[in-house]
Amino acid sequence: MKKASLWVVLALLFGPLTYAQEVSYEEYDLANGLHVILHQDNNAPVVTTSVMYHVGGKDRANGKTGFAHFFEHLLFEGTKNIKKGEWDILVDSNGGRNNANTSNDRTYYYEVFPSDKTELSLWMESERMLHPVIEQEGVDTQNEVVKEERRLRVDNSPYGRFAEELFKNVFEKHPYKDPNIGYMKDLDDSTLEEFMAFKELYYVPNNAVLVVAGDIDITETKGWVNKYFGDIPRGKDIFRNYPDEAPITQEKRAKAYDANIQIPAILTAYRTPSFTSREAYVLDMVSTYLSDGRSSKLYKKMVDDQKQALQVGAFNFSQEDYGMYIVFALPVGETSLDTLTNEMEEEVTKLREELISEKDYQKLQNKFESRFVNSNSNVEGIANSLARYYMLYGDTSLINKEIEIYRSITREEIKDVANTFLNPNQRVILEYLPQPKTK
Amino acid sequence: MKKILFSILCLCGLVSIQAQVDRTQPPKSGPAPVIKLAEPQKFELNNGLQVLVMENHKLPRVSVQLSLDNAPVLEGDKAGVSSLMAALMGNGTTNIPKDEFNEEVDFMGARINFGSGSAYAQSLTKYFPRVMEMLADATINPNFTQEEFDKQKDILITGIKSQENDVAGIAERVSDALSYGKAHPYGEFVTEATANNVSLADVTKFYRDNFVPANAYMVIVGDITFEKAKELVETHFVGWTKAVPLSFQYTQPVNPQYSRINFVDMPNAVQSEINVQSLTDFEMKDPDYIASKLANFILGGGGQRLYLNLREDKGYTYGSYSGLSDDKYAPGRFQATASVRNMVTDSSVVEILKELERIANEPVTEDELARAKAKYAGNFVMALEKPETVAQYALNVETEDLPADFYQKYLERVNAVTVQDVQKAIQKHINLNQLRVVVVGKASDVLANLEKVQYKGKTMPIEFFDKEANKVAAPSFESDIPEGHTGQAVLQKYLDAIGGKDALEGVKSILMEATGEVQGQTLEMVIKGTSINQRMVDVRMMGMSMNKQVFNKDKGYVEAQGQRTELTEDQIKDMQLESKLFPELQYVMAQLDIAGVAQINGKKAYKVQLSSNKAAFYDAETGLKVQEVSTQEMNGQTISTTVGVSDYKEVSGIRFPHKMSQQMGPMTLDFTILKVLVNEGVTEADFE
Repeated sequence: MKKASLWVVLALLFGPLTYAQEVSYEEYDLANGLHVILHQDNNAPVVTTSVMYHVGGKDRANGKTGFAHFFEHLLFEGTKNIKKGEWDILVDSNGGRNNANTSNDRTYYYEVFPSDKTELSLWMESERMLHPVIEQEGVDTQNEVVKEERRLRVDNSPYGRFAEELFKNVFEKHPYKDPNIGYMKDLDDSTLEEFMAFKELYYVPNNAVLVVAGDIDITETKGWVNKYFGDIPRGKDIFRNYPDEAPITQEKRAKAYDANIQIPAILTAYRTPSFTSREAYVLDMVSTYLSDGRSSKLYKKMVDDQKQALQVGAFNFSQEDYGMYIVFALPVGETSLDTLTNEMEEEVTKLREELISEKDYQKLQNKFESRFVNSNSNVEGIANSLARYYMLYGDTSLINKEIEIYRSITREEIKDVANTFLNPNQRVILEYLPQPKTK
Repeated sequence: MKKILFSILCLCGLVSIQAQVDRTQPPKSGPAPVIKLAEPQKFELNNGLQVLVMENHKLPRVSVQLSLDNAPVLEGDKAGVSSLMAALMGNGTTNIPKDEFNEEVDFMGARINFGSGSAYAQSLTKYFPRVMEMLADATINPNFTQEEFDKQKDILITGIKSQENDVAGIAERVSDALSYGKAHPYGEFVTEATANNVSLADVTKFYRDNFVPANAYMVIVGDITFEKAKELVETHFVGWTKAVPLSFQYTQPVNPQYSRINFVDMPNAVQSEINVQSLTDFEMKDPDYIASKLANFILGGGGQRLYLNLREDKGYTYGSYSGLSDDKYAPGRFQATASVRNMVTDSSVVEILKELERIANEPVTEDELARAKAKYAGNFVMALEKPETVAQYALNVETEDLPADFYQKYLERVNAVTVQDVQKAIQKHINLNQLRVVVVGKASDVLANLEKVQYKGKTMPIEFFDKEANKVAAPSFESDIPEGHTGQAVLQKYLDAIGGKDALEGVKSILMEATGEVQGQTLEMVIKGTSINQRMVDVRMMGMSMNKQVFNKDKGYVEAQGQRTELTEDQIKDMQLESKLFPELQYVMAQLDIAGVAQINGKKAYKVQLSSNKAAFYDAETGLKVQEVSTQEMNGQTISTTVGVSDYKEVSGIRFPHKMSQQMGPMTLDFTILKVLVNEGVTEADFE
């Protein structure tokens, strides 16, 4: 009791709120449907220019997996006015850097330059959107490169296949069931014609958001945006109709083997709703409660006190259509995987049956506040967040307001969400085991 | 109407303007941005701690980084002591119990972490004074307890085991060990054995000797004033006792006498890890530092020569890069690396070597150099966004003995580098006659071609190493079975190896006592058997029988936790063969084939399928049985059990394995056989 009151005093003393500097921005649409977001921050002479396209691993060409990511590789091969191999030279010789990444839901391209190169970066991204050059030679080379990427990140990497194995079991019909990077066979079978059609359909201004953030002048930047993007023709509207998944009502058990590991892992996964839903935010808090920090429930119990686990974690794998909530552990010494499963479930059971303590609730709020302050600490990250909130959440202002959602979540809601989504009959249990040595 | 007309005109105007956009040329740059290189404020404590403060009030947060600029320490047969010390620090203090400490850090949403020569803490501004107080307490009064030590040691050892099949991890470890030597701090690595040599007292001593303020630097960045930072440091760190770390001498690592390939076989690899390395004396204060970095960038920076050749041209890899590390305490190192699919391992080595020779022998182009300079200049400008980087620059000037204006004049220094400077730097740092090419991969896929790699007109010699960088013989991985070799011959060789048919037939009974461990509990196992189909296995834990199997000629039962189950007819049939003392005496009469060849514990073994649900593996060289695999149907699922046997020792003229390891799913049970008795200690009553 004495301790509890000390925490309350601390909380009162420091007050519940901290204001991180608000991220200011301006947003508008071009006539061709391209959404533009500008964020000015003149603290350092750096600018980030990025384009997010609403296309990802779940969007395929003739059902082929890994298509969006493969396509991302092709968009570094050159454009009508930037010859093959010159893209990177242009970036380097102007002192910048650039990259791209593809998730199941979107593809994101960005450049970071000293701010005197803002116009250059806009020209480059408009070239990529207007007339990228896609040829068989590039398809052949990048096929090999992507397959190497798969070997590096998945097949030769310890625990590299666990996500793939979980998705396979948590999803039956929705394209999330297949790996984002694709199967080797689909990569080999992808054709130039399919890539052309994919570009026509998805790489159009009405399916993209352009962000320019950093050391810019708003009026000047608007002029350049109009100059380079204004005449890119609008594409057709895009309709998606991916199958709904029937709820999981019976526990599923699966096994997978990995030749790169010695210590097995046990993973429990639950299917969850879209990341835009309020429940997904609640599940973020549940993860933090369970495994973020040394005093978190699972870490303290399984790693610290009972010494059963080498590592334990809970994370909310959020996506646009559905998410996946994962709790996992790696045993230390001779602890059995069943013991780990039971210990993890015990904490989830408590979440379903009891309210978390007032003190733990306050701790959660403090952690999310600290996370919020840190989340907008660099311009590159802000650019990505602005694009994401607009395109995938449909509300750019979340960059400043998301913290209010977390603040409004109650202890009762945490319990409700655990009862709705985290029941034993809704879970998939995956034993991820070392591949036996002999055949 | 007028309005509409106006907007149509506007639209036309807009379109016509856009039609004139010249897309064919990249737009020109704007005026170069003005660079402001802020300077941190500094002060020093009497105990030697030097503090740099970089105010930045953009966000309400503060971070503090503590680094000890000590010479590297050789941990030798106690390798692991520094990581254990790091793992124990930040777990409470002698003033605050661990749980309270962790709870409070988490409650503030803060972070406090320790490394073996560093510490880091970060929090919102409002909590920072308390975080500094806790950081200082954890630094000065660490909470070293036996319980925490035992736990961290377990985690460390499990972690080591977990990396045994990690191809990239092994490649890194072996590359370091071969370049610097295992007797050098940069070459040594932690093994289960060295971790087991470390005691809590070693950790305490390591802390006292090394975690001292003489060479310590602290960098505080964020929403705090210099005065406040100074006050916090002075209040809390003044009690850190002044002390200087011990200094050591080690053998100077050198490059190999001539270029060679160092190969490590990892049969699970689907990609080979290639690392071409060359040691070189290279420090940040060297006059050719920037020229050397630019030279390395042209060769192996992102999107440069190695990348363009191996990825963009050949599609061998997801990326190939090179690095050139500077070090003031030991030689630095040039490394060119790639992860490539097995099939193109030799070609990739050849291409990397080609690129090294090309950049050493031919001057780079002006364009390439200009591009490298622009990249370095751009990186420098963009890094200024982060106050941490600016603080790091100031720290480098202090610790690397750089000219005071090194960063003020950085862009000028970059600009002054010439094509000749680049070539000189390459020739100095990459010793083309003494390269060490480390390749870790699957021998059976890659070795045949790797043995043919030509370099400078000669075949490149190959040396073989194991995963701990010990020299070994070339792996024998040929999977073919010698002509005319049969399962019968394999079994005969086994029987001869353990004592011969006559000696084995003279055995009437065997008694074995073994001990093992599961989940921290000790198990005892007794096995008794006779030549007339009797067998008894009893597994006990703390004196209590956990599982007992008894078989007597034509009947038998299993008793587990008080439950007794009689054997079924099928099981009885199986047991009649199983319960033989040396079943191979029977099997050797059948016409069995060799069912395959496998590598078991790195040695070639022949597989013989003894029955429909049981196979055994026999070492090709010694003839001894090394493993048995049996499968069983259980509730519609096939469960396989693997029993490895090793450590053969002679008892009464017969060689018996003295180690048994049973694997079922993820569980491994290791037994050590304590006692074997032949023809004594077994009575008829044992099988009732």
